[in-house]
Amino acid sequence: MTSPITPRGSDRSSARVLFAAFVAAILAACQTLPEDAFRLNESALELREIQTRSYDGVSDVDILAASSGVLQDLGYAIDEVEKELGVLSASKRADAKETAEILGNIALDIADCMLTFMLGCENDSYQSSKDVQDIRMTLVVLPNLEKEGEYRVRLTMQRVVWSRSGEIYAQETVNDAAVYQAFFDKLNKSVFLEKEGV
Amino acid sequence: MRILLIVTFLIVAGCAAPTAVITEGGSQVQLRQIQTREYDTLDKRGVLRAVVATLQDLGFVIDKADYELATISATRLQNFKIRMTVTVRERDGDRVAVRANARFNEEPIEDPKSYQDFFATLDKAMFLTLHKVD
Repeated sequence: MTSPITPRGSDRSSARVLFAAFVAAILAACQTLPEDAFRLNESALELREIQTRSYDGVSDVDILAASSGVLQDLGYAIDEVEKELGVLSASKRADAKETAEILGNIALDIADCMLTFMLGCENDSYQSSKDVQDIRMTLVVLPNLEKEGEYRVRLTMQRVVWSRSGEIYAQETVNDAAVYQAFFDKLNKSVFLEKEGV
Repeated sequence: MRILLIVTFLIVAGCAAPTAVITEGGSQVQLRQIQTREYDTLDKRGVLRAVVATLQDLGFVIDKADYELATISATRLQNFKIRMTVTVRERDGDRVAVRANARFNEEPIEDPKSYQDFFATLDKAMFLTLHKVD
C-alpha cells in the first residue's frame, strides 16, 4: 500500500499557516468589549476641544454648505446629510502607506498621511504605495445652547486600512490634533466665502 | 494536528461571553427594558441632538441620521468595531423613550452594564438640552 508522499518542508509550512490561522481565530473569539466602551474617559474632553470649533454670525445651513464644499474640494463623497440634526457624513478611499511604516510609527504617520490627503495628495510617497484606506468622517453643526446665535461644529474621523491582499490590518479613530486643525483651516476659509456669498 | 483542532475548539468555546449564554432565551421585554430609557420631554429634536453629541463624545462616526424617523446609526472603530442604533419615540404624549442597541464586532451587546453606561453618558448631554436657558 502506498501512502501519499508529502515533502516534509511543505508539510511544516502548511502547519505553520494553519497554526497562525488558529491563533488569529482564537484572538478574534476572545476579544471582549472594553469595560469603559460607553463611558467618557479622561481624554474625552480634550478630544472634544480638538474636534470642535465655534462660528457665529452665520447660519447652520451656511456652515453645512461650506463644509460640503470643503469635503468636495478634498475628494470626499457625501454619504449622509440630515439638516434637521446638523449631521453630514462623508467618505473616501485613498492610498495608504506601507504596512511596516504604519505599524512602525503610527502616530506620526497618520498625522502626516492625513494631512497630505487634506492638502490634496501632492508630492507624497503614497502615490507609489498600493495599500488603501477608507476614511470616514462625520461633521455635526449644533447651536451652542450657552450662547445665542453661535454654532458649534464637531468633526469625528475614522479610517480602515486595507492590505494589498484585501485584509483589514488597522481600524481606528483619528485623534491627531493636526489633522483636525488642517480641516478647520480650510473650513474657516470656506465659511468666510459662504458668508460673503462668493 | 487533530489535537490542535480540539484544543482550539475548546479555547474558542471557552471564550464565549458567559452573559450571552445567560441571556439566551431571555424575554424580548427584558431586552427592551435594558435598552430603553424615558425622558420627561417632548423635545424630540433636542433629544436626537443630545444623542448625536453623545455618540460623537464616545468616538462614533454617524452612518445614518433621520429626523423624521428619529433614528441614528453610528460606528466606532478602535481595533474592534461597535455599531449602534438609537431611536427616539414619543410615549403617552408627555415623554419620549430612547432605545439603543449595539453590536460588538459581530455579536449583539446584551449586558445591562453597557447600556447603563451609555444612558449615563447621554443623561449628561440631556441635562443641557432639558435645562437650557431660554
